[in-house]
Amino acid sequence: MAEPLLDIAGLSLAYDTARGAVRALDGVSLAIPRGGAMGLVGESGSGKSSVVLALLGLLGKEATVTADRMSFAGEDLRAAAARLRGARIGTVFQDPAAALNPALRIGAQVAEPLVQHRGLSPRAALARAVELLAEMGIPRPAAVAQAYPHQLSGGMKQRAVIATALACEPELLLLDEPTTALDVTVEAQILDLLEKLRAERGVSMLLVSHNLGIVDRLCDELTVLYAGRVAEAGRTADLLDAPRHPYTRGLLAALPRIDRGRIARLAPIPGSLPDLTQPDPGCNFRPRCPFAAAGCAAPQALRHGDARAVACHRAEAVRDLPWPQPEPVATTRAPPGASLLEAQDLARSFSLDSGFAGMFRRRAEVRAVDGVSLTLRRGEVIGLVGESGCGKSTLGRLVLRLIAADRGRIGFDGEEVPPKPPDAFRRRAQIVFQNPDTSLNPRQTVDQALRRPMERFGLARGAAATAEVERLLALVRLTPAYRTRYPHQMSGGEKQRIGIARALASRPDLLVCDEAVSALDVSVQAAVLNLLGDLRDTLGVAYLFISHDIGVVAHVADRIAVMYRGAIVEEGAAAQVLSPPYHPYTQALLSAVPVVGARGRAAARMRLAGDVFAAPAERGCRFAHRCPAKLGAICEDQAPPVQVPAPGHRIACHIPAAELARAPAALAAAE
Amino acid sequence: MSASAATAAPRRRLPRTLVVGLVVVGAIAILAILGPWIAPYDPQGFSMRMRLRPPSAEHWFGTDEFGRDVFSRVLAGAHHSLLMGFGATAISLVIGVPLGLIAAFHRGWVEEVVMRGVDLMISLPPVLLGLLILAVTEPGLFKTVLAVGLVYVPIMTRLARAVALELLAEDFVEAARARGEGAFHILVREILPNAWPPLIVETALRITFAILLGSALSFLGLGPQPPDSEWGLMIAESRPFISEAPWIGLAPGICLCLLLIAVNVVGEGLRDLLDPRMRGRGHG
Amino acid sequence: MARFLLRRFASVVFVLWAMTVLVFAIVHILPGSVAHMILGEYATAAAIAALEEKLGLNDPLPVQYWRWFSGLLRGDFGLSITMERPAGPVIMEALGRSAVLAGVSIVLVAILGIWAGIHSAVHKGSASDQALTLGQYFFIAVPEFFWCILVILFFAVWLGWLPATGYTPIADGGLLGWAKHLVLPVSTLVLGLIAHVSRLVRSSMLEAIESRYVLAARAKGLPERIVLRRHALPNALLPAITVLAVDVGILIGGIVVVESVFAYPGLGRMLIYAIDNQDLPLMMGGMIVVTAVYALANLAADILYAVLNPRIRVGGTAA
Repeated sequence: MAEPLLDIAGLSLAYDTARGAVRALDGVSLAIPRGGAMGLVGESGSGKSSVVLALLGLLGKEATVTADRMSFAGEDLRAAAARLRGARIGTVFQDPAAALNPALRIGAQVAEPLVQHRGLSPRAALARAVELLAEMGIPRPAAVAQAYPHQLSGGMKQRAVIATALACEPELLLLDEPTTALDVTVEAQILDLLEKLRAERGVSMLLVSHNLGIVDRLCDELTVLYAGRVAEAGRTADLLDAPRHPYTRGLLAALPRIDRGRIARLAPIPGSLPDLTQPDPGCNFRPRCPFAAAGCAAPQALRHGDARAVACHRAEAVRDLPWPQPEPVATTRAPPGASLLEAQDLARSFSLDSGFAGMFRRRAEVRAVDGVSLTLRRGEVIGLVGESGCGKSTLGRLVLRLIAADRGRIGFDGEEVPPKPPDAFRRRAQIVFQNPDTSLNPRQTVDQALRRPMERFGLARGAAATAEVERLLALVRLTPAYRTRYPHQMSGGEKQRIGIARALASRPDLLVCDEAVSALDVSVQAAVLNLLGDLRDTLGVAYLFISHDIGVVAHVADRIAVMYRGAIVEEGAAAQVLSPPYHPYTQALLSAVPVVGARGRAAARMRLAGDVFAAPAERGCRFAHRCPAKLGAICEDQAPPVQVPAPGHRIACHIPAAELARAPAALAAAE
Repeated sequence: MSASAATAAPRRRLPRTLVVGLVVVGAIAILAILGPWIAPYDPQGFSMRMRLRPPSAEHWFGTDEFGRDVFSRVLAGAHHSLLMGFGATAISLVIGVPLGLIAAFHRGWVEEVVMRGVDLMISLPPVLLGLLILAVTEPGLFKTVLAVGLVYVPIMTRLARAVALELLAEDFVEAARARGEGAFHILVREILPNAWPPLIVETALRITFAILLGSALSFLGLGPQPPDSEWGLMIAESRPFISEAPWIGLAPGICLCLLLIAVNVVGEGLRDLLDPRMRGRGHG
Repeated sequence: MARFLLRRFASVVFVLWAMTVLVFAIVHILPGSVAHMILGEYATAAAIAALEEKLGLNDPLPVQYWRWFSGLLRGDFGLSITMERPAGPVIMEALGRSAVLAGVSIVLVAILGIWAGIHSAVHKGSASDQALTLGQYFFIAVPEFFWCILVILFFAVWLGWLPATGYTPIADGGLLGWAKHLVLPVSTLVLGLIAHVSRLVRSSMLEAIESRYVLAARAKGLPERIVLRRHALPNALLPAITVLAVDVGILIGGIVVVESVFAYPGLGRMLIYAIDNQDLPLMMGGMIVVTAVYALANLAADILYAVLNPRIRVGGTAA
């Protein structure tokens, strides 16, 4: 085997902090051959982003890097990083909005490395920058080169960042969560671009991501990091098909898989990340591992086998033991009952003319929700999916009367809900938020947070309330000891459970879950999803489950509604929406999702141009400007009819349902 | 980073500079309170025999043109500066913070009225507002304190509104709205406990400016009147004797500087302790 | 952009108008007769009546206000009571001399403050950063009037290098004589402000240096010099403009103090003179002029900010 392009061995990294030295990386090794693509996967706190900064030599003074070997094309990176970065190593960081300098024109930023490393004149470099932008699939590249970052959409910004990284034709591209800040349809465009660049230019890649689906699409090899150490490494397809390290196995078991549809329960990994200030000399996954045994306290070397390396001495021994599935809750679920929530023709516009920026621009209005009707039955879960800015969160707040509607009616349990709803409605309709860090008042203990709703609605006081708090904690699988904790004393998953418990404290019939699991790592997300499923089954609570992640929605929802720019374009039972006939947008959304084990289903891919904010549609179909299946003028001029291909399944599209039904299944793996 | 996320971090030990600053401010406050009892001479007692004496064992800071003991006068004047700093800031806090919170909560015309008033007051240079108030009324300590306090009301209002707006957008406030909580509960129970760190930091930093402005107004003759021994006034009165008896002006001046630096150190120390934006950032 | 300018200009006009109302109201509505204030406690009733007649103080307040306000619009500030000559030229002459003081100071503050702030941020933690930080603590806290005393004591009394007080027009004392009288006032004015500006520039520069786009620029392999100059600096300087505008307000306060200590015949000393002598037309006119200067300085800062900030200058989307 030829010498690898990038060869790292024994890379360790410690940060000096007020709490002591944090060992962020501990003996990490990886090698990428020329033209190869390596995925580096881990949850938050795994140290994966630190690897990129360590390779570039861009860690701050408080970081100490040690390594047995750090070589790039035969050169020692520790000495040569300053000379290589930008010239032979290109880098793409996570959030393109933060990575571009707001004060400089795009063209100048793309051209900079060419002036620096290739000695081009600024003029020649700018001309080359325009070409690069065109190669990245940016329309009107000359105009974009003259633009400032704030004038571009997220996808365009990331293309510009990739153009900059590729300007000097580097041999290696470091990609740090390159699509995490982007919507799924835009993410799909960027992944296509990266795939094409790799095929055409032979550039090697190191892709850092938390998303196994993305890595599966782009990388031949995969390294799994856990708490600063390599857990497992090998060929991507093999590794994902047959993971050997217990952590990797747990990670895959916890992943909601859209291609598998709705399975009863996910398998969460219990516990949380170890304290990196006191590294465990033995296996650091041991406290969370269901297969842990006495020998696990000894240091674990990476055991190299047939193209697979596993840092677990029991990997072979427990190979045939199944990953423990959580006990299902004993009750059987009652079928959805009578209608609970009925929203008719809800609409809400926002004026963009606010704050400092508003002083300089003309007043503009965004129709966030534009005439949406929705019915939710008792105990039913409706999944509401769509990309950022589609109005799904606004709709969730409209039905709770948390923001005022411009028009429309809301009925709850047969009664009209006025704009200022009575306490009875407030008690029965509650909300769970996305971000566990902001959903709890940092100055209140768990006890105060859970007690307040009971007092507010006169449900319980004193000792009765204390008992009720403990019952709620038990409901979300936490011990009574949590009563005295403040939010900063809990992990993200625990905070999210408290958020759910607070919403349940007033014994509601309806929960609006606004991206309730989106901020959580996969292993924790699985536990919260299971919990939400159990609560639905045992308490009979109905959910309006809002998420951008159609995989998560597919896992929990009875029915799915797909939203695009303020309106529901398709709605139906989960199985109906996830299989043809599709609304073209649903089809695009589904085929954009990077799914583990979906290599080679490129034939079914349907890609959208542009992104959600591209153009306003005053008349006609709101999806017409991006629709790859657009019929013609009719789509732009006339509002699409609602078709009902099957009972309960509605699609708002001009294309006849019979034709839509001929679309290939977007989820090839779903037999 | 949001204000609430920052306050969620565990408490840290007090920085050393903050402790030193607090000790100095505390010592000056104790001296100001005990002043009348520990002053060796009557701060307003004339003694024509003892005019313009340099510092000595009997008169630590020397004597002034009327033979008054400068040390006793400095002691007697200490409470003025403290009152200007803390009193004026308290006034701006008590008026400004509720205004800011209410403006943030009641978007619409209430906010318009409050914030346009604030804009108007902020578009006057601070000293001018003080001058305007003091020019047309009889000067005196409490007028100065009030004038300085009013000058800083709009700044406090703006800050309180900005902090409250940020907090009002947080999910835990929306959770309170989803419970149908009223304005009072949301402002007092949910917002205020989280708003105080940035408000305290700003207040502490404001005290320095309030003392500066108050003593400058006194220096200009628009504060306490002779024979009172406010430090700024003492410095103003020392000017004719600057070459022959510099200690008359230097003694209160150095004390004033000491107080100001100590208050400023406390403010900066509190900012390091409480303000999220000054915290070091880790790597992800 | 044009809309923005128009709105900002309208708000300046509004502020000035509101200031005329405020000044007038405070002077005329607060307890105490204006004539009494002018003539002092021991004035006879006849003298007061005569003065009230002369100044038109018996007219209804709106009439009095309109007389004064319409005068202002014509550039007529009324008659200075103590000097018995039109207040307008007195104010303008004083304004000119103060403008020299303020102009020299603000230029020095901008250059030295920004330089020191950037130096501290780039060499964060170094000996010079720590020395500058220590200096900032000190200079922010020392009051101008005490500085005045110290510099007079040191440079004028002990060393005798510079004149302690006064003002010499260029015509009389030549450039050198004129400049000599500026050195001490300007240096007392700028020290605190330099400390203030450098402190804020330091933190905005640090924020820029720690940003993702600076990290990205380093990842492009640009030398540190270019990273700082092209990527960090433009973003760090924008907040400095806002700080400088705020500091014009503090500078005006300093000028009032410094002019009266150094007996520099500018607008600040004139204001204190007018207040001490209850020369109402002079005082009211002076306050309006100071407000106008401050409002225009803020307008200039806002325009500069908008011009230098592409997010405001260039709106809309490109692709």
